[in-house]
Amino acid sequence: MGTEAGAQQILAGLKEAGIDLVSSVPDINMLQLINLLYADKQITHVPVGREEEGVGVCAGAHLGGKKTALLMQNGGLLNSCNGLTTTALQFGMPIVLLIYYAGDIGDNAFHMVGLVTEPVLQGLGIKYIVMRDPTKVKQDIAGAVTLANSSKRPVALLLTRAVL
Amino acid sequence: MKRFECLQAIASLIRDELFVTTAGGATAEWNGIHPSDGNIQVKTLGLCSSIGLGLALSLPKRKVFVFDGDGALWMNLGSLATIGLHQPKNLIHICWDNQQYESSGGEPTVATAGKIDFAGVARNAGIQSSCAATTIEELKQAVGHALSHDGPHFIWVRIEAGRAEAPPLPYDELENKYHFIRYVEETEGINILRVPMPASYLLK
Repeated sequence: MGTEAGAQQILAGLKEAGIDLVSSVPDINMLQLINLLYADKQITHVPVGREEEGVGVCAGAHLGGKKTALLMQNGGLLNSCNGLTTTALQFGMPIVLLIYYAGDIGDNAFHMVGLVTEPVLQGLGIKYIVMRDPTKVKQDIAGAVTLANSSKRPVALLLTRAVL
Repeated sequence: MKRFECLQAIASLIRDELFVTTAGGATAEWNGIHPSDGNIQVKTLGLCSSIGLGLALSLPKRKVFVFDGDGALWMNLGSLATIGLHQPKNLIHICWDNQQYESSGGEPTVATAGKIDFAGVARNAGIQSSCAATTIEELKQAVGHALSHDGPHFIWVRIEAGRAEAPPLPYDELENKYHFIRYVEETEGINILRVPMPASYLLK
């Protein structure tokens, strides 16, 4: 489920880094964060039914001037690979991917998804940070947003249970 | 009726709307009829409706057209539910249904069997202003209504297969994106590409 404090820190980090639209598909470990997004007035929250839709929503929102992030589980990263490749990367769209790292060391479910997550990001040419240190959450988010904007590419943040 | 004549009819009704066009024949035909920096092509089959949704939500005062196809819409049918959920008032979603994957060589789609009613699917997904246009006159009426009323709107248009002679787009995806973004910046009076100070430099 994550903690309230962890979720608040991530949300504050996103706002401070200028993110103003978040598309999402839930994961139990991000429940608190998603609840905060539903309640938040400053960030436009766009829930979608499948993660690749979220790539499209973020890409379209970028064209309209929003600074975007896509919140999902790493299974959803696998669902979005074509959209990430032929829309986000091929057109050069900055999208911050906030991905819950299921199957990471210490996580009890989806070990196969955990196993392929980093190789898939590497194969796509998407730079990423594995977020394990709660004291560096804002720094990691700001770094990802900075690189997404300057490179005009998606950048991924893999959220582990330690920071949620 | 043919898609080309439908697109010509739409071109006579519009002003400065934005156009998101599917990976398929509609893109080249539309850019031939209405060359504009307000046109953005889509390369991911199925994703034009989602891209149109994101664009419409971020520019709520600007009318946004999506030109979809039956094969593309089948691939992302869930996007109708998502549009129905978020109710973007400024979205005009048109599905050009030629009952085949024309760009892939003409294989059948879900529409080929004649069972699916895309307008009915859209309406039941929460897009109340949803209709089928079977003539150019009906299409013009539906688009005219969509331009003057709050949406979201969905228009299902069954067309003859076949592509009109249209030159390929004069630019690649990146150039298309930059033209489009600069056009939005200029016509909306906003800044999109310039980031005043990188977020990581602002951290203490």
